[in-house]
Amino acid sequence: MSNVDIEIFKRALQREKIARKQAEKILEDKSKELYLLTQELKKTNQKLEDLVGKKESTLQGVFDNLVDAYVLIDVSGNVLEMNHAAKKLFGYDITKEKLNVIKLVYKEDYQYAIQSFQQLVTKGSFSGYKSRVYTKNNGVRNVHINASLIKNKKGKPIGAQGIITDITEKLEQTRIFEEQKQQLSTIVDNSSLGIALTQSGKIVQTNKALQNLLEYPQEELLQKEIKDISLKNEYAVSENHMEKMNAGLIDNFSINKQYVKKNNSTFWAKTNVAAVRNPDGSIKYQVALIEDITEQLESEKQKEKLLEDLERTNQDLKDYAHIVSHDLKSPLRSIYALVNWIKEDYSSAFDKIGLNHLAMIEKTLEKMETLINDILSYSSVNNKEELQSSKIDLNTLVDDLKNIVLIPENTIVSTKKKLPVINGDSTRIQQLFQNLIGNAVIYMDKENGVVEIDYEDKKTHYQFSIKDNGIGIKKEYHEKIFKMFESVGDNENSSGIGLAIVKKIVTLYEGDIWLDSTPGIGTTFYFTLKK
Amino acid sequence: MSLNFLLIDDDEIERLKFARVLQKNNYPHKIIEAKNGEEALDILAQKEQQPDLIFLDLNMPKMNGLEFLKELKSNTDLRYIPVIILSTSNNHQDLKEAYKTGAAGYIVKPLKYEDYIHKIKCLIEYWSVNELFKV
Repeated sequence: MSNVDIEIFKRALQREKIARKQAEKILEDKSKELYLLTQELKKTNQKLEDLVGKKESTLQGVFDNLVDAYVLIDVSGNVLEMNHAAKKLFGYDITKEKLNVIKLVYKEDYQYAIQSFQQLVTKGSFSGYKSRVYTKNNGVRNVHINASLIKNKKGKPIGAQGIITDITEKLEQTRIFEEQKQQLSTIVDNSSLGIALTQSGKIVQTNKALQNLLEYPQEELLQKEIKDISLKNEYAVSENHMEKMNAGLIDNFSINKQYVKKNNSTFWAKTNVAAVRNPDGSIKYQVALIEDITEQLESEKQKEKLLEDLERTNQDLKDYAHIVSHDLKSPLRSIYALVNWIKEDYSSAFDKIGLNHLAMIEKTLEKMETLINDILSYSSVNNKEELQSSKIDLNTLVDDLKNIVLIPENTIVSTKKKLPVINGDSTRIQQLFQNLIGNAVIYMDKENGVVEIDYEDKKTHYQFSIKDNGIGIKKEYHEKIFKMFESVGDNENSSGIGLAIVKKIVTLYEGDIWLDSTPGIGTTFYFTLKK
Repeated sequence: MSLNFLLIDDDEIERLKFARVLQKNNYPHKIIEAKNGEEALDILAQKEQQPDLIFLDLNMPKMNGLEFLKELKSNTDLRYIPVIILSTSNNHQDLKEAYKTGAAGYIVKPLKYEDYIHKIKCLIEYWSVNELFKV
C-alpha cells in the first residue's frame, strides 16, 4: 500500500472516528433526552394515577352517600355492587351472600319487570319504572327505578346499573292526601249548607247545595262575584266586614243577609265567612257557609206571634180573674150588710131557726169569699218575670206562719233542723208553706197533732218535707189533689185550690211535689225548689 | 166639727152602708153621694161648698176611681182634698197606682159588716182630728 493510500486510509479512518464520536455524542444526548423524558412521563403518570385515584375515591364517596339506592348487576342479574342506601333498602349485604335481582321482583309485577328488562336490553335504558319489590325480611316497598346498560369497548353488554328510589312513604302520603281530599269533598258535596270559596269577592268554588240554593249551575257561579248574588243595599254591611277581615282585625264573621237567585227571587241566609290566610297574613281565600234560614225565620216569626198571643191571653185571663173576683166580691159584701141589717132591725121578728138561717147565709158568704180569694191568688201566680227575688229566712217565715195559721193547742208545728235561707218571692213562698202547713193542721184528727218540717240539700234544689200525723190521703187521690177544685177533704173552708196554688208555685221554681201517705196514720208532702 | 164628705160609689148598698155607719154612730158629718167619677166632677164643679174628704170606690162604670183621682189631682183648686180609696181589691198594682196618683188612704172593704163598721169608724175619727187645708 502506498503512502498516499495509507494517508488516505488514515484520513478516512480519522474522519470515521470523528463521525462515530459525533454519532455517539448524538446518541448519548438522545438517550439522555429520552431518559429525562421518561422520567418526566413517569412523574406525569404518577400525577395522573393520583388524580384518578382521587377521583375514584370521590366517586366512591358520592356513590356511597347517594340518598337513592344504586345497584350494579351483571348480564345475568347478579348484583355486583350496592351502595349504603341499597343495602338499607333491600336489607341484603352482597359481601356476605349472593343476590340476584329476580329475587327482588314482586310476584305480581313479574311480567312488568321482564318487559322493562327487555327494554333495557334493546334500548339501552329505561326510566320511570314503578313497581313493588321484596326486601330481605319479606317486606314490600314501592320503588321507582331508572336503569341503563353498561357495554364494553366492543359494544357488548356486560352489565346494568340502576338508581332505585323508595317511594313507599310518598305513595302513602299521596294516598292519605287523596283520601282526605275525597272525604272533604264528600262532606262539602253532601253538606246541606251552601259553601263558596271566594277570592277578593270572586267566587272560585261552590258546592252542590249552594248551586241548588241559588239555582245557578257551577259554571255560571264561577263567573260571578258575591256582589252579584247579594242585594245592593245589604252588600255594604258584608263589605264592611270584609274590609275588617282584610285588615286582619277579624278572622271570621256571621251575618244574616239575603241572596238573589237566578230567577231574581231572594231568600234569607245565615252566612259565616272565615278567612284562609297566607303565611304573611294576607287573605288567600274566604270560605263562606250559607244556610237558608227562610223557614227558620218564618217559624221564629210564628213563634213570636204565638208567644205574643199567649202573653196577651194570659194577661186577659189575669185581668179577667181580677175583675170577676172583685165584681163577685162586692155583692157578697152587700148581702152580708143586708143580712146584718135584717138581724139588727128585725131580730125580734125571727125565731131561733130563722136566726140560724141568717147565720148560715153569713157562713156561705164567707166560704164564697175564700173561694174568690183563692181563685184570685191562683190566677196571680203566673209567670216567672213577675216574681220578686229576695233572701227569705225560712225559720222566720215558719215562725210568722204559726201566728197566721190558726193552730189548735193540741197541735205542735216544729222544724226538725234549722231551715235554710233561700232566694225567692216572699209572698209566693209564704203562700206555699202556709197552704201546706194549713192543710196539715186542718186535716188533723189526732189527740196530739204533730207537724214536722224538714229539708235536704240536693245541690241544685232544696227538698222540703212537711210531715203530719193527720187523717192521711188515699193513694188514688195523690194526683187529683193538685188539680183545681179537687178537694178530697170534707172541710167546709176548703176551696180545692190551695194545693193547686202550691203546685203552681213549685213549678215556677222548677221543682216537683209529691207525697207519701197512709190513711189514718199521716201524710208527708215533699217538694223541691230550685236554688 | 161637722165635715162634708163626698162618697163616690156606683153600688147603692155600699152608699147605704156608709150612711148607716154615720147615722148609727150619730156622727154630725154630711154626705154628698155620686154614682161615678163623672157625676162627682160635676158636683165638684157646681158646688160652692167643697167637700173636706172624698171616699172613692175604684171599680165603677163610666169614669172609674183612678181616672177620677187623676182628674182631681190635676185641678189646682181640688187637688188638696184628701181622697180615701174604698175598694174590694187588695191588689198590689191597684194600691201602688192609687198612692202614686195621690190617694191619702186605702181601705180594703172587708166581707163582714162588723169589720166594715170598725174600719169606717176608725177612719172618720182619724180624719176628724186632722187639720185640713182649704184653698
